[in-house]
Amino acid sequence: MTSELLSVRDLRASWGRVPVLNEVSFDVHRGEFVVLLGPNGSGKTTLLRCLAGLERIDAGSIELDARRVERLPAHRRGIGLVSQEPSLFPHRTVRENIAYGPLVQGTPLSEVGRRVEELMELLDLGRFGERYPTQLSGGEAQRVALARALAPQPKLVLLDEPFASVDPELRAELRAEFRQILSVRKVAALHVTHDREEGLFLGERVFILMDGLLVQSGPPSEVYERPRSPSVARFLGYNVLPGRAGPSAVAPESLRVLPEGSEGVVGIVVASGPVGRLTSIHLRLPDGTRVEARRPRTEGSLRVGMPVALQWEEGIPLGPDVAAPLPSHGARPTPARDRAGSEPPNEGSRSRT
Amino acid sequence: MADDHQRRLRELSRFLPLGPALAFVLLLVLVPVGVLFADSLAASGGVSALLPALADPVNRRAIYNSLEQGGLSALLAGALGYPVGILLGRYRFPGRDGLLAFLLVPFLLPSLVVILGFQELFGPVGWLSSPFPGLAPLGSGLLGVLAVNAYFNAPMVALLTATSIEGTSKEQEEAVAVLGGTPGRAYREVWGPISAVGAGAGMLLTFLLSALGFAAPLIVCGARCYTLEVRVWSLDQVLASPAAAGVLALITVLLLTVPTLVYITLTERAHRRQTRSPRPARPLPWRDPRSWPLIGYGALFFAGVLLLLAAVLERSVVPASGGLSALGWNELFSSGVTGRLGFSTSTALTNTLAFASGASFLAFLVAVVTAYARQRGLARSGWLEYLLFLPLLVSPVLLAFGLATLWRPVIGGASSTWVLILLSQATIAVPFTVQTLRLGLARLSPAPWEAARTLGRSPFGAHLDTELPRIRAGLIGAALFAFAIGLGEFTATYFLFLPPFATLPVELDRLGALRLVPAQEALGALLMLVSLVVFAAIEWGGRRIDL
Repeated sequence: MTSELLSVRDLRASWGRVPVLNEVSFDVHRGEFVVLLGPNGSGKTTLLRCLAGLERIDAGSIELDARRVERLPAHRRGIGLVSQEPSLFPHRTVRENIAYGPLVQGTPLSEVGRRVEELMELLDLGRFGERYPTQLSGGEAQRVALARALAPQPKLVLLDEPFASVDPELRAELRAEFRQILSVRKVAALHVTHDREEGLFLGERVFILMDGLLVQSGPPSEVYERPRSPSVARFLGYNVLPGRAGPSAVAPESLRVLPEGSEGVVGIVVASGPVGRLTSIHLRLPDGTRVEARRPRTEGSLRVGMPVALQWEEGIPLGPDVAAPLPSHGARPTPARDRAGSEPPNEGSRSRT
Repeated sequence: MADDHQRRLRELSRFLPLGPALAFVLLLVLVPVGVLFADSLAASGGVSALLPALADPVNRRAIYNSLEQGGLSALLAGALGYPVGILLGRYRFPGRDGLLAFLLVPFLLPSLVVILGFQELFGPVGWLSSPFPGLAPLGSGLLGVLAVNAYFNAPMVALLTATSIEGTSKEQEEAVAVLGGTPGRAYREVWGPISAVGAGAGMLLTFLLSALGFAAPLIVCGARCYTLEVRVWSLDQVLASPAAAGVLALITVLLLTVPTLVYITLTERAHRRQTRSPRPARPLPWRDPRSWPLIGYGALFFAGVLLLLAAVLERSVVPASGGLSALGWNELFSSGVTGRLGFSTSTALTNTLAFASGASFLAFLVAVVTAYARQRGLARSGWLEYLLFLPLLVSPVLLAFGLATLWRPVIGGASSTWVLILLSQATIAVPFTVQTLRLGLARLSPAPWEAARTLGRSPFGAHLDTELPRIRAGLIGAALFAFAIGLGEFTATYFLFLPPFATLPVELDRLGALRLVPAQEALGALLMLVSLVVFAAIEWGGRRIDL
């Protein structure tokens, strides 16, 4: 048995004539928790829906457990899905929602009952069994949605921003819980989010999708510490500033704000305010570039419109961005420069480099 | 290769749900009407027969009457219904939902009951014409026809206006106000154009239904008001000139194609703009004197609708001669009346219920499968709706005429009559049931259906498990709506019926013709009560019907 559970090759999809995904290739290993990270409109949800069989693909292959599934309808793929809205069946109780998948599969009733009880206990849903979805909070509903997705015992679960509509204080708790449950049950997950903190926190590996193209992948620490291109760096929260050999990524904490007249690049304060224990200062450079600096709150805030000097150490060198917007079918993208050793073979963020 | 073949088969099988709808349109509308036209043209000397038919002064008069009655009725219904639509669409107040639902009642009433009600109000000894003789013209002639048409259709205009504006954005309107715009500007920018789409759709539907009016011009006004619909019936059934009738029916279709297409386009547009769960956001400003005219007019409007119902009910137990009497009710079930009619009231009642049940079952099936096909994107761009709205363009007389021409020889014998009545009633009900279910489904989130698919359920299975249960009330509503249409259907049934298959509306007409007034009044009340029970059942199902 190979370690790859899901193998996607050269996947292309479009909305009418507008290409949404362009030659996307990646693998997910058994039991692995992978995060697909990208800004809104980058094609993340479309990719997930293509994998689930809810959208048609234009080209490419999807192999699940050594079986080609791209032509199979959604109900024959055996892939679980938890979406942003819990999409529970409003006319069925929590218990009936969870039992739905195994019942459709024709699982014996005794086994269905056992699985439902086990999942309700695992997700702390015991007291909600007879409730209807409208009687649940957002977090409870998402727990039920995960239980329902796990009940048919899929090998892979797709999570489409499942915490987006959950209160922020509950979100952290819920994502840790989901991560742990999937790990305990050894179910692989492909989790989609635009929240970089969530993505970097959860993923064993992180894929970055931009404009329908997978532009970088790797362990979260590696992706964060070595962004490949200006757009990835900006998405991860870096400032993109000139370095010795081209653009470089500079973390807001590494940008020093000094009084006007000091050595450095001149900047004008655009906004300033507290973010936790730090002060976030947004500045405009003479060429119009916007940057953010963060410094301890003890250093005080700055008045809007105040000129300052900015200094930074050499940042992380960046390659070029994708040269053109998503090309039409048949054309090749001009990808960001590969970084040697950033990813293992066959786990590439793109099929061609 | 085999894989390709299988995949193609699978692709084609996705479109199977379109089959029943297409078969329905083909077998019950397009082919019968096409055969009728072809036969009529062949018997009249080809397409050139259209010109003499158009030159015939009686036909020209019928065309003029149709356009006149359609146009004036639309204007009248628009003027009467639009303010009520604004009142119910924009403002929230206790009982508002009930009033909105009640707007459907006139539409569900059998046309003959409304005509009877107008006689009770404006006839020789009418409730209103006795104290106010100046109102008597509303009981007969062209004015009477227009008044009957307005009674049916003004509530429908109000309903369509209200449903089109209730989903408009309160925030957008507030933004206009904050930016210095007057209420008039907010009307022009935010909710006026949308309300015009709803009202326009209602007025066009009024135009179509009135231009094809049958019972009102026939009974209330007589020969000088004959519309195309009555003229076609008269040519075929009275003057025994089926070919001439067929040619005139073709002219009717040609004349009304454009307004029908515009109506469907407008309803499409109105539905696209609707939000998933519209609710009027503003409380009714009771205390603001500027709103009093609107509130007062609304009260008058509903009082008028109720007045007719009350008059029909009252006259069934209190004849014009005065005093409480059950004479009409006794007569209705007496052997004397049965003898004069050639059939009994209980037979007519049984037939009515049987036809209405069968028709609603058939219309419901077509609507469910069509709604599924539409929901799954098998029929984009609304072409399926255009096809299923053909019965609206093809009038009841033409439909009955076409069905009889094609299918009576095939089915043969007396049973052809009941089959044809059943099919014609189902065909007439289909556009409305399709519309009702479609709207219910359009407001559903597709997410549970998709979830069921990822959990292993087939597309249609997921539809049954996750979508139909969520619009259960809509399903009941659609079936009952079809039932109500069957219950009151007069035109097609009148065209097709033989005495053993008479229905209550047909009996109501016969009783009037035989001047059995007490029995006619009792039967009118009975039909009205049955319609109100069906309406109550629709409401009990919790579903509002959108036309």
